[in-house]
Amino acid sequence: MGLNGNALHINQCAGGLVGRFRAMGCPCEIVLYGQPADLKPAMQQAYQCVVQLEQKYSRYVEGNMVARINAGQRVEVDSETVHLLEFAQRCYQLSDGLFDITSGVLRNLWRFTKDASVPNIEAIVGLLPLIGWQKVDWQPPYIQLRPGMQIDLGGIVKEYAVDQVAQHIESTPLSGFLINLGGDIYVEQQDLSYPAWRIGIERPDAGPVITLEIRRGGVATSGATHRYLWHQGKRYGHILNPKTGWPLEDAPQSITVASNTCTEAGLWSTLAMLQGIHAEAFLAENSVQSWCYR
Amino acid sequence: MLQHAIEDIKLEDIKQPNIKPKEIKKALKMAVMSLFSASAYAADNPWQVETSGLLYSESDSRVSAVEPVVSARKEFADEHYLNLKLVVDALTGATPSGALPSNSVQTFTRPSGNGSYIIQPGELPLDNTFHDTRVALSANWEQPLSDRLRGQTGVNFSQEYDFTSLGVSGNLARDFNDRNTTLSAGINLENDWIKPEGDIPTPFAAMQPEGAVQARGDSSDSKTVVDFLFGVTQVINARTVMQLSYSISQADGYLTDPFKILSVVDDATGDLVTTDAYRFENRPDKRSKQSLYWQTNYRLDRDRISFSYRYFWDDWDIKSHTLDLSYRWNFAENQFIEPELRYYQQTQAEFYEPLLLASDLLNDTLPEFASADQRLAEFNAVTVGVKYQRQLANNQHWNARLAMYQQSGEGSPDGVFGSNAQFDLFPSLTAVIAQVGYGFEW
Repeated sequence: MGLNGNALHINQCAGGLVGRFRAMGCPCEIVLYGQPADLKPAMQQAYQCVVQLEQKYSRYVEGNMVARINAGQRVEVDSETVHLLEFAQRCYQLSDGLFDITSGVLRNLWRFTKDASVPNIEAIVGLLPLIGWQKVDWQPPYIQLRPGMQIDLGGIVKEYAVDQVAQHIESTPLSGFLINLGGDIYVEQQDLSYPAWRIGIERPDAGPVITLEIRRGGVATSGATHRYLWHQGKRYGHILNPKTGWPLEDAPQSITVASNTCTEAGLWSTLAMLQGIHAEAFLAENSVQSWCYR
Repeated sequence: MLQHAIEDIKLEDIKQPNIKPKEIKKALKMAVMSLFSASAYAADNPWQVETSGLLYSESDSRVSAVEPVVSARKEFADEHYLNLKLVVDALTGATPSGALPSNSVQTFTRPSGNGSYIIQPGELPLDNTFHDTRVALSANWEQPLSDRLRGQTGVNFSQEYDFTSLGVSGNLARDFNDRNTTLSAGINLENDWIKPEGDIPTPFAAMQPEGAVQARGDSSDSKTVVDFLFGVTQVINARTVMQLSYSISQADGYLTDPFKILSVVDDATGDLVTTDAYRFENRPDKRSKQSLYWQTNYRLDRDRISFSYRYFWDDWDIKSHTLDLSYRWNFAENQFIEPELRYYQQTQAEFYEPLLLASDLLNDTLPEFASADQRLAEFNAVTVGVKYQRQLANNQHWNARLAMYQQSGEGSPDGVFGSNAQFDLFPSLTAVIAQVGYGFEW
């Protein structure tokens, strides 16, 4: 199963198994501890769960539900997707329209590489009519986009997949596990005779590595240190404002949040990022356990 | 100009999003919770199991049947269903053999050739040899193929003492018009094998006395059946759904009933001839059937009315009309009573003959095909019944149905003359159907 080069590679580690594969455009890692006989089936099951969600929600899989939605068809979506789209709608409302799953078309213009430049302004303005969740005809379970509009659930599905895998493998009696899909993480280590999981937090500055000790919960990071472009002496981060088509100004370089679930952590970190200059204050006000770097 | 517009938007956006800090924590947790509460329960659906037992009993100790049924349905993924069904029929009793009543005692040889039974003067000859148990199994998988297209495929198998049937089926249904219209097309392929007790009788061969050599052909034969079904379902309005379908079916192979016979009578008197008085029937080896079916369901504020009509015709010249009417009276939230009324009427097959003439045998002018099987005669039937269902907790329900079936035909059909005119060749048949069912999740 899986696409070329995305196959699951399983290795032994002390008392457990490590599975590595690529999914959702990221390197992924799953570590399981428990009875040796249980581990391999649980690993396969976890991997399948990720692959299925990727197939179902990737924008790059021909003919899947997202492709049909993006082709402008009126699509009746299944119950899982209803809840994901409802969640996306809540994110849109909570962020006052900044967290918008229809903003993906902007990424066709903006390239965040070392030698990239600011795109043509007409092109940006030309895209704005195609952006805005409020323009989507969403009458659960039916969705229809205006011609040219697209949705991208990538900002939600990776964290969701982490939590779904965690839920799936809880049916296997494991002493502990870690699920890491490209930096979005959920861990469990309920057995107190074992140490808690230690998660290193990537930071863009050269400061000492921060290690988070956690027994159960989700960790997610927004922002990426290597995804920005310089233009006229100004640094543009890769988080785009769907209302203007331009990158958000004064956003931190990265925000890592620890919370009950990976989805919750991901939503906090994204919402904080969208606060721009006020990100730290926003996190502090809501007493979110977080690490914010500029 | 354009540059200005952009700058304006950017300035506008410097204002930070309007989120009230105290509300957001609660709202965010709610959003995440509802996402997961939803997806968690979709993980595993239970089997939905229906069980029922049916008792069918004809008057005058004709056929009686016991029929237990177990069916189960499970949703494996979103709208991916597996349906399984097991039916067992245990039949006992006697059916009309096709022979005429007579003023004297008649003796018939059993199909095996080893044994016989006697019919008293004036009585319609019933063959009580059959005693059979049928087991039928079917499995069916349905799933969406794309947003608007659903597919279904299935296999079915049934086995009796002397009969085996194996079939496969496929069906595609496509929604149009905001899902208010569904078009469907299906195909069934079936192959049946029959291996009757005492082998396949030679057409029109005389029934020989017990112990004598019977004129028989192969020990088994078979037929194939191909059905095509086309349908359209239309939502008329919020209360009304209509369905119209057309089916065409082609059967090829052995379509004769190896146990049915015809009486040979004297051309002048109508009395049974004294030798070789019973001849085995013969039917064409092809049959092409077509039917049109129209059904309407109308939902009232509380109750539901369902009406259907079927027109059937085939190249054996049988035409039939079936009318069905039921009213579901939802008199309480968890109970309903549903009276039903069904009327059926058919014309006879072109080769239906109540008897054979001795002169035709003598002069070799027999028709190519002939059968005195009452199921190919002209008759009508009425079913009146009532069903009660009660919903219990935990998605369980039970139901009971009681129905009466009354069949009547022409007691003295065309072609009957002389001494036979005094007999009722199609005495009315009454049957009682009692059924109980229980459904649960597992």
